Amino acid sequence: MKITLLKSLAVLGVFLSFGLAQAQEVSGTVSDASGPLPGASVVEKGTTNGTQTDFDGNFSLSVGDDAVLIFSYIGYKNQEIPVGGQTTIDVTLVEDTQALDEVIVVGYGNQAKKEITSSVVSVSTEDFNQGVVQEPTQLLQGKVAGLSVVNRGGNPNAEPVIRLRGISTVGGNQQPLVVIDGILGGSLASVDPADIENITVLKDGSAAAIYGSRGSAGVIVVTTKRGKGNQPLQLSYNGQVGVSTIANQIDIMNREEFLATGGNDLGSDTDWRDQVTQTGFAQVHNIAASGGGDGFNFRIAGNLRDTDNILINTGFQQFNLRTNFTGFLFDDKLKIDVNAAFTQRDSQIGFNEAMRYATSYNPTAPVFGDDAPFAFNSSQFGGYFETLGLFDSFNPVSIAELNRNDAAATTLNYGVNLNYKVTDNLTFNLNYAAQNIKRDNNQYYPTTNLWRGNALSPTRRGRADFRSEERRFRLLEGYAAYKGAAEKLNYTVTAGYSFQENDYNFNYFQVGDFPPGVDFDWSNNISVAQDLLEAGRVVADSGREDGDRIIRFFGRANVTFDDAIFFDASIAREGSSRFGSENQWGIFPSVGLGADLNKYLELPNINLLKVRAGWGLTGAIPPSVGLYQQIFNVQNGSDGQSGAATTQAGGRAANPDLKWEEKSEFNFGVEFAMDRFGATVDYFVRDINDFITLANIDAAENNGFSQRWQNSGRLGVTGIELSANYDVVRNDKLKYNTGLIFTHNKNILEENPQGDQVLGNLGAPGQNNTNVVRVKEGEEIGQIWGPVFSGDVDANGTPILVDINGDGNLVTGQGSALDDDADFRVLGSGIPDFELGWTNQITYGNWDANVFFRAVVGHSLVNSFRAFYEPIIGSQASYNFVNTSLARSDIRTAQFSDYYVEKADFLRLDNMSVGYTFNMKEDSYIKGLRLSLAGQNLFTITGYTGVDPEPSLQDGGLGLSNLEGSTPNQNIQQVQANPLIAGIERREAYFTSTTITLGVNVNF
Amino acid sequence: MKRILKLTLASVALIAYSCTDLDDELEDTITEEFSIEGVSVGGGEDGGPLLAPFGRLRSGSAGNTGFFASQSVPSDEMAVGQKGGDWFDGGIWIQLHRHTWDAAHERIGEAWNDAYGGIGECNIALSGGNLNANQTAQVRALRAYFYWRLLDLFGRVKIVTEPGGDAPQSERTAVFDFVESELLASLGIPAVTAGMDLSGSNLGTEVNNYRINQYAALGLLAKLYLNAEVYTGTPRYQEADWAASYIIDNSPYILCAEGCTTPNSSKRPEVDSDPETLEGYPAIFAPTNENNPEIIWSIEYNNTNLGGMNFSQMTLHGPSQLTYGLDEAPWNGFQVLEEFYNSYENGDLRKEANFLVGPQTDFSGNALIDFASDDDDLQVVYTPEINELEPNSIRQSGARMKKFSFEVLGRSNMNNDYPIIRLGDVHLIRGEARARAAGDWSLSLPDVNAIRSRAGVAPLTSIDAAEFLAERGREMFQESSRRTDQIRFGTFDDVWWEKTNTDAYRSLMPIPIAQINASDGTLTQNPGY
Repeated sequence: MKITLLKSLAVLGVFLSFGLAQAQEVSGTVSDASGPLPGASVVEKGTTNGTQTDFDGNFSLSVGDDAVLIFSYIGYKNQEIPVGGQTTIDVTLVEDTQALDEVIVVGYGNQAKKEITSSVVSVSTEDFNQGVVQEPTQLLQGKVAGLSVVNRGGNPNAEPVIRLRGISTVGGNQQPLVVIDGILGGSLASVDPADIENITVLKDGSAAAIYGSRGSAGVIVVTTKRGKGNQPLQLSYNGQVGVSTIANQIDIMNREEFLATGGNDLGSDTDWRDQVTQTGFAQVHNIAASGGGDGFNFRIAGNLRDTDNILINTGFQQFNLRTNFTGFLFDDKLKIDVNAAFTQRDSQIGFNEAMRYATSYNPTAPVFGDDAPFAFNSSQFGGYFETLGLFDSFNPVSIAELNRNDAAATTLNYGVNLNYKVTDNLTFNLNYAAQNIKRDNNQYYPTTNLWRGNALSPTRRGRADFRSEERRFRLLEGYAAYKGAAEKLNYTVTAGYSFQENDYNFNYFQVGDFPPGVDFDWSNNISVAQDLLEAGRVVADSGREDGDRIIRFFGRANVTFDDAIFFDASIAREGSSRFGSENQWGIFPSVGLGADLNKYLELPNINLLKVRAGWGLTGAIPPSVGLYQQIFNVQNGSDGQSGAATTQAGGRAANPDLKWEEKSEFNFGVEFAMDRFGATVDYFVRDINDFITLANIDAAENNGFSQRWQNSGRLGVTGIELSANYDVVRNDKLKYNTGLIFTHNKNILEENPQGDQVLGNLGAPGQNNTNVVRVKEGEEIGQIWGPVFSGDVDANGTPILVDINGDGNLVTGQGSALDDDADFRVLGSGIPDFELGWTNQITYGNWDANVFFRAVVGHSLVNSFRAFYEPIIGSQASYNFVNTSLARSDIRTAQFSDYYVEKADFLRLDNMSVGYTFNMKEDSYIKGLRLSLAGQNLFTITGYTGVDPEPSLQDGGLGLSNLEGSTPNQNIQQVQANPLIAGIERREAYFTSTTITLGVNVNF
Repeated sequence: MKRILKLTLASVALIAYSCTDLDDELEDTITEEFSIEGVSVGGGEDGGPLLAPFGRLRSGSAGNTGFFASQSVPSDEMAVGQKGGDWFDGGIWIQLHRHTWDAAHERIGEAWNDAYGGIGECNIALSGGNLNANQTAQVRALRAYFYWRLLDLFGRVKIVTEPGGDAPQSERTAVFDFVESELLASLGIPAVTAGMDLSGSNLGTEVNNYRINQYAALGLLAKLYLNAEVYTGTPRYQEADWAASYIIDNSPYILCAEGCTTPNSSKRPEVDSDPETLEGYPAIFAPTNENNPEIIWSIEYNNTNLGGMNFSQMTLHGPSQLTYGLDEAPWNGFQVLEEFYNSYENGDLRKEANFLVGPQTDFSGNALIDFASDDDDLQVVYTPEINELEPNSIRQSGARMKKFSFEVLGRSNMNNDYPIIRLGDVHLIRGEARARAAGDWSLSLPDVNAIRSRAGVAPLTSIDAAEFLAERGREMFQESSRRTDQIRFGTFDDVWWEKTNTDAYRSLMPIPIAQINASDGTLTQNPGY
């Protein structure tokens, strides 16, 4: 938490304070190097008595005889001056652009920012992105070099992909560890963005090592807002109303264009995408009450979110309640923190397929069957038209209107932290926290829906799917810290123990065959399902993984010499129950060294010149429990009465040697600050070893198993991150600060014992076995790989490909993709060369504005929409075609080539906001009022013709909640997105949206 | 205060001491083998330790993957045309038919993995120590069959006979010798002879379509000897003849002809022209073929828990869903080559049984409409002619394979069993073996004419190799035999339709590249690849 911010909040407290007995009047002027400072805070130390300077920097205050005054202002160093009988005190505050005394949460303790030897970035409320932010990390989008938050298309019901510094693991969990108020492993979904005070991002291995394997992908530390001691009740309200419209969608043909290509005319003119979309509407309400008395404080906040997404019949309603209480006992030696949060979220997830089919559905088809150009039995299909018999073609409106895909999730978090100060030097901490998530998902396809309701079956129509799952997480941690000092030496030693346990279970079933012709939601009464009467129709499954544990012993030493040389080292011994007994434990050390060079160089006009270097080893565990063990499936006899036996089919081969994936990371950074300019540069080298993947094995040698989970391969990542900011204008009325971040990283697959591969299947129809991403040892990952289009087509309309190697022999079959004589080449990189974020903050009087641009450069995307739907295939005269600026009417077959790989560089106005803070009278009940208008994703400049030029950093990965019965290995592969497949924009992509938000902020 | 401190310290110490337990049992998956014999009316035969090894046959044997695809699409029986944007799939189907596949071909890789999956299951069963003598003989014969698939497709493979074991890559002759010796051992004889005595065999003689008896093992041997010259260079036609003759002379199996009937599962209730029953040849492959008297050994499929046969999905055009009231829209993939279709004379009962051609009707018998039709005629009409293999194979072109006939209201997993050995095949093996042994094709006529008479076509009075191959093709269509037969008759590297590649080395498939890469140098590639 930034001290400066605490102070500014204290000012608010001052506003609220009532007259106390005063003994003496003090007045004066507060100024900085350039003149008087209006709005600076003057507080009598140890009390809530205080005031703010007026427009000319003047103040006057009644204080006690022995009072000490604290002068503060955001961005300046505080000054304390004893009154000592003076009646006039003039103060000049010194700027503190780098906020050197900022204290940062670094894991099991706090550290002054300047002492930190690793790459850490802290962002507080005032720097957050504005607008309707549905997910906490979106507050940071583009603000932290090396952090990418990508929600392609921006579906509010989808979780964003969060990556720190590119790839951190190949087989393990890619998402950074989230620590909420000291409790690790919490779900970001349980924190409402409005309750967040600060987010700190620990980027490199040496910073994260103390968290062990769970910190291997980086750590995001969230600190929520809290009450203050000795402060009367404060009430605040934040409200936002946002409107979203489609920002971009891929161009398709309209009726006339479609008919001109020879498309089948079904007599109507329908804009299918218009039919399945709407103007999105979101409202957010946050009410928080905080306060405190002698030795305690509290905050309680309620959040309500109600969102209608741009796809019709989708959205969510979320209620979140968060409370925290802090109390001090025994002469303030014991501090007790109690946190609890409850989140209830009801989601109407709907079906993104409606968007896909809206792209490919015949634009001359009518929405309703009554408008069909021929006799059509509308009532069988709920009134909707359907192109019966056409493969993979379903009325998008019918999908969106008739079916239901709802989820209800309840998340409960609670935790207790005891901090006991034995002496001034020694403290003990005990933490207990738990998180329970329960999620139910229900899909219903009525008997009248063709898509999954099977409406044209003579006998079996309608389907209902149910899935419920529960996850429980428990955390128990204890640690002690000892602070010591000797001459120029200050040191802190920390040691502790951490116990984490996860329980998980799910059950699933699916039944169908409901009575047709009755308008009734049969998912609420499945006992009538005729599937119950017919063998093999009901699908049911369940699973349980309890007792999945991580145990860690850790120790750390931080040493500061001469207040300018900083050293720290940590070591963790960590065990995971996901390994066999031989390989459960790993040791993960880190060291760091930093120096404030300017203390010795004393360069003029330089406030800070710090260099630092750190190295850390972290680990990653397998994506699921028991992967080292052989498992069997059960085969029942055919009649269900004649016995059963285990079979290896669909089972898994054992690998008792499965061990930790290791990531070693070296980070070197320089921090530099002058009066108006500050910059940080970080360079890192990352080495990911023995990653845990499903590898091909010799089937003959392995009992017929051709794959198993293995450690294999090495990936090297190097990267550079730069952030800089500059105060362009800084005077009484106008302040303008601009900041830039730059991120570049390179991921090289240094070892790949499995041999080169092509991955990333485009899929049905017709483009199965068309793998478009190459994985090659010694080269960068994310290579889009394929043949090259010559620009000419043959008589069939088949694109003529280029004989790249000029050997007179055209080898472009996908099976030959890796052959020496293949005419394939790298068509682009799925991984960007660099990312840029450009922030501009302007304050003018009561006005403030924020403009944030983001650019991502150097990556390409496989435009799947075009690859599938742009060729004018004669036999597809009943499907619509994509019609981008690149479309060519002479291409009449679907052949993947560089023609469907597009550069996706973009510049986006990501966030722009304007706010006005009203001057309130001192005696007003309303203490503060601010109005703001924010726009998100306002425009994008790109040459990419697909939906969203955001990089696609991984592929697949349904998430655990989308699983249905399949083999265990497949399950895990489906859950786990593959980071080796970058650069494919899939056809299910959500349409991107632009959101305009009006916000109001009131303090009472 | 001190007490609190002590409590805290004590609890931390306690936790640290007690909570280093990282043992985690898997709660939702089985990590130990078991087998349970039949528990009630079903009897024990179908359960127990044979369930898993025989269950492995289902994978890739009657679907669009693995063995079926590798064995059928490269032949002159069928192809998978690219229908505009559909079924291009990176060119793998075109490669498979045009003989331009390479070692990364997914279908070929599946055939390898499925065979070794079966072998692994057999090895586990054999090493478990809970098989009786008969079961052991069955599993050894079954393992020999999986090795026969490897022998036929890949030639040079590793012969592994126990769980977790490894072996060097054997030459094709050694694989042949292994398959032969295992089958002989299960039959309890040193060699196949004219007057062999199988009384010492641990295999039984009772009829059970889903398990291996003496006749099934002999059928496998007959097939092995018939192809011995291809596999090893040494002809063994006499033994093929003896093995086949033994089955024909001693077994209870009959050719399913007149009077051999089964209900027609394709019968649509409202369509009078759909027959009530199937008789003779089509009955062998019907959804209710589990007790067909011609089948010696078959793979058990059903639509509930023994899935894997999906011919309806593979071959039918989407609108045909409405003909049969199928659960899911079919994929419109596999088409029968026109020349192959035309090799049947009109009146051949097998032509009607094996193919779906002509105008199609819906569940009620009305014209079946395809709103996406490529021509002006909206009714779906399957034409024997296929305009081209790629890129725009007309979607209604090509006869469709319906030998394994489709059940009305069928699911994507079909109920028909898939024969591995049946008496009709045994007759043709014997006829061919006799002809080849003596160098006189007329010696095949009695067996050929037995088959022809069942098919309702006139007996032949003379025959040559080409005519024999054609007859065998007509009889054995869609039974994963054509590639092997064409190789034996030397026509596999001929030119037909859009297949122009004549590489002789392609009579062996490449060892899958993924397996070579994973083998640490212990597997080497076949010549030519």
